[in-house]
Amino acid sequence: MIVAGIVVTLLGFFVALASVGVASSVAARMAIVLAGLAISLAGIIGVLNRAFVNKAIWRRE
Amino acid sequence: MKNTALFLLSLTFAASLGSLALAQQPAAAPAPITDADLKAIAAPDPKVRAKGDPAGDSTGNVSDIAVADPITDKTPKAKGLTIGDIANQIGQNKIAINFVWTLITGFLVMFMQAGFAIVETGLTRAKNANHTMMMNFMVYGVGMLAYWLIGFAIQEGGVGGVANLGNSPVLSREFVVNIFGKPFGLWGQGGYFLTHGGAYDVFAMVLFLFQMVFMDTALTIVTGAAAERWKYAAFVISSFIMGAFTYPIYANWAWGGGWLANLGTNFGLGHGYADFAGSGVVHAVGGITALALAIMIGPRIGKFTRQGKPVAMPGHDLVIVLTGCFILAFGWFGFNPGSTLGASSNGNLRIGSIAVNTMLAGMSGSFGAMLYMWLRYGKPDASMTGNGLLAGLVAITAPSGFVNTVGAVIIGLIAGVLVCLSVEFVEKVMKVDDPVGAISVHGTNGLWGVISVGLFADGKSNYGGSWNGVNGSVTGLFYGDAGQLVAQLIGCATLVGFVFSFSFVVNLLVDFFVGQRVGEESELKGLDLPEMGALCYPEFEIRASEAAAGV
Repeated sequence: MIVAGIVVTLLGFFVALASVGVASSVAARMAIVLAGLAISLAGIIGVLNRAFVNKAIWRRE
Repeated sequence: MKNTALFLLSLTFAASLGSLALAQQPAAAPAPITDADLKAIAAPDPKVRAKGDPAGDSTGNVSDIAVADPITDKTPKAKGLTIGDIANQIGQNKIAINFVWTLITGFLVMFMQAGFAIVETGLTRAKNANHTMMMNFMVYGVGMLAYWLIGFAIQEGGVGGVANLGNSPVLSREFVVNIFGKPFGLWGQGGYFLTHGGAYDVFAMVLFLFQMVFMDTALTIVTGAAAERWKYAAFVISSFIMGAFTYPIYANWAWGGGWLANLGTNFGLGHGYADFAGSGVVHAVGGITALALAIMIGPRIGKFTRQGKPVAMPGHDLVIVLTGCFILAFGWFGFNPGSTLGASSNGNLRIGSIAVNTMLAGMSGSFGAMLYMWLRYGKPDASMTGNGLLAGLVAITAPSGFVNTVGAVIIGLIAGVLVCLSVEFVEKVMKVDDPVGAISVHGTNGLWGVISVGLFADGKSNYGGSWNGVNGSVTGLFYGDAGQLVAQLIGCATLVGFVFSFSFVVNLLVDFFVGQRVGEESELKGLDLPEMGALCYPEFEIRASEAAAGV
């Protein structure tokens, strides 16, 4: 899960970066960048953090 | 009689026309100043000077101008003072003003370390005060060493000439790759040890000092989020890596001639990524690294119940927390206005506007947080009000050079509310423990600051006619340039996607080799004795029942 979280987070960055190469209009670029940001946030909050919360110290106390 | 009156009237009218015509003639150009004129300027009589100069009228005069070819007893035919000498003196005075400005504002930023140290220590428990204070104290030295050895070269090794600081060419080696047919600068390659590649240079020294204290600000943010459970050895290694690589890489992309700064010239996105003083470069890098570490290291023992409900763990000294906030607000007058890297020429007189924006955003940030807490919880929470002030200052850091005062107040106000919402989200939804709110103050509001440039930049600033190589002024969406907002969002995506991943992997490796977290026994006892060998407050008796409960 940790590796998957890092991969998804990095993927979001590459999607945002690709916006300047695959689109030329400002609106299209903005949509792609926002999609990239959403992917990265999902990787951090939804995948990576969840993996750590599942084995958090307070669950074992 | 009537004829006489008409004659006088005609005469007056004619005279008026004549004088008008005279007034419209161009004034005669003043005679050019020659070297001979300069030699006629008398220096104050040494006998008069010998009596003292209580009014300061004669100290600083023509005899203080450096002369390239001075007339002496042995060189009576030398040129003496020339126009060229005066031009050189003016040029050096301009650079001297900018050097002094940059250095003094850098000194102010350095003092922010003291503010961070006492804010973080005050927000943690007394049993960890020595440990928290020592992390904040040594992050200065650890970060500086890493930055001197490696970080500065990566960040600024390819920055090229900086007009305000004398256009020195000694830092002009950037590693560049081609992506989408455009050059992408990735890291600098000159200036290691401040000696490599001609970096033993007055310009490089000034730039190093100013950029070093910025880097250290980013590093000290992380210590707050990991406080009360971070192994000291891991802190030292992690901070060294951040000062050598994590921070400098992003800073190069934004400020050192890297690809983010060139999104405007290469892809027509506004003026490229514009981060005036570092909401993204300094604060978001620090806040996002803090998030990576806080997720990895886990919450303090007792922070969450078995049902996942957060438990309040108040800090031990609100007095030093709020005093630290004031010290930080004072240091921010170095942070933002100093980021012009000069006070003379190239639109640098905007330093007044930048300073006012800074103080206004801090004010509205504290109001935003205080009112939010008051309305939501019934009391104007002191620590969150302090965090609101800092959130406003963090958010205005990137746009401070590009927005007007109304924009600054709005940006700060939103930041003040945002920090409260973010603290709740981090704690209640993500179940991440951040004892000082560093992730929300610096991470969330660092990103907000970056975005706000793309919204509120009013197109009125003019730093030498261009920014990041694009002519004209930085202009946000509300003033007509949507492309600038896209550039800012790409910067945010880089922070969230790349910087987070890089920091996370680096700290995973530190965890593997050293271990990031202290043992449970040490944590319950308090880290002062197990980690540092001495209590911060030896006269205090920490109640055994509280220590056992991890309070």
